[in-house]
Amino acid sequence: MSRPTPRPFSLLAEVTHRCPLHCPYCSNPLELAAQANELTTDEWRRVLNEAADMGVLHVGFSGGEPLQRPDLVELVAAAREAGLYSNLITSSLGLTRQRIKELKRAGLDSIQISFQSDEETLADRIAGTSAHAKKLQAAQLVREFDFPLTINVVLHRGNIERLEKIIALAEKLSAERLELANTQYYGWAFKNRGALLPSREQIEYATQIATAAKQRLHGKMEVLFVVPDYYSDRPKPCMHGWGQKHLTVSPNGEVLPCPTAHEIKSLRFDTVREKSLAWIWRESEAFNRFRGTEWMPEPCHSCEFREIDFGGCRCQAALVTGDAMVTDPTCQFSPHRKTLTEFVEVSQKESAPFSSSADEITFRQNAGK
Amino acid sequence: MQLPSPDIRPKLSSRARLQTDKVTGKPIILYPEGVLMLNPTGHAIVTLCTGEVTFQQIVDNLAARYKKPAQEISPQVAEYLHRLQEKNLLEMQGATEPI
Repeated sequence: MSRPTPRPFSLLAEVTHRCPLHCPYCSNPLELAAQANELTTDEWRRVLNEAADMGVLHVGFSGGEPLQRPDLVELVAAAREAGLYSNLITSSLGLTRQRIKELKRAGLDSIQISFQSDEETLADRIAGTSAHAKKLQAAQLVREFDFPLTINVVLHRGNIERLEKIIALAEKLSAERLELANTQYYGWAFKNRGALLPSREQIEYATQIATAAKQRLHGKMEVLFVVPDYYSDRPKPCMHGWGQKHLTVSPNGEVLPCPTAHEIKSLRFDTVREKSLAWIWRESEAFNRFRGTEWMPEPCHSCEFREIDFGGCRCQAALVTGDAMVTDPTCQFSPHRKTLTEFVEVSQKESAPFSSSADEITFRQNAGK
Repeated sequence: MQLPSPDIRPKLSSRARLQTDKVTGKPIILYPEGVLMLNPTGHAIVTLCTGEVTFQQIVDNLAARYKKPAQEISPQVAEYLHRLQEKNLLEMQGATEPI
């Protein structure tokens, strides 16, 4: 018999796919939701209330760039009223003094700003627009208004060697958390993975720097660093299990078990315009497809790690092997592991992206209205 | 474990929020990327972390409430406060030196 439905703890509210940045590792799907299809203010209010009633405690307002929504302050107020702890996940473009004041008043709890690098020229080249200087100003505002500040830096071949300086920047900005997030190869990043994947030497170097920083800054700034999947022997416990703790609502109301689940073309996602959030969480095909361990084929089904990593990431399986059912190909026990290892070896020979010799990067675009 | 100074006044950090969990009806603390489910003793301690009550007063309050000697209670309170501090959920007011 199946187990009782688990309780969701966090909701990622992707309120828009619009974004002033063009980062080539964007985790949004290649097919972006158009502005005309975005959920309305009232629809988001309903989603937030339903989520809180189901037991969700944390909401991340993300996108795209959530500040592109003129009603963001109203959405934050609704989250607060529902008892949710809210985090704004932002590029910070559009975070003016007036806006941050309103967000504070509405009850926003914390802010996470993305940085592309520690240094303006490279950072702006990665973002595909002039953004770095504005981010520095915004980070000051975040501190001035006494928000807990997380800084998130996506690492790849083009910026990973600057890691020491990136950590120093986060310290200077008094961040209390620093996420050194190795690029996850989905969406735009998968398209560009040949150019973005760091070399083995770069990963070893970065691991040393991050480990030392973690110790040195203990109690002052929390430093998070995880070795990228392609260099790991064991898959990540993706989302702590499919449909176990987390749900994502995309700009047009589709409800996903993880932010990149659009990669699995065989799944159909129900929307909050047609069903309640609780029904989708409990009953929908998409949320039950990989829930628990019964769906697992070998080698996962009899594996001693099946309750630890849950078979790894379904999106990665789909992207790399074409079959979302199989063991995550990053796993040492996967028959597809050699595909990734070969890819890693080939990509080592490529030049650094964002330099004049590299022109094979696709920057993220925006959808039509 | 070394006990904090008796006149220190712990205060729940502004980044943390104490509220009642809608599902279980029990007290929880929410903070960036995390949640702490509180047991009744933890809840009793946290509600006294207002920045106005001293460590000694918290200990006396709990000792009276649970009818236990203060010497027995005080290392337990210290341990609990230390755990909150590790998660960066407490400010220590009136601290003359780091504890």
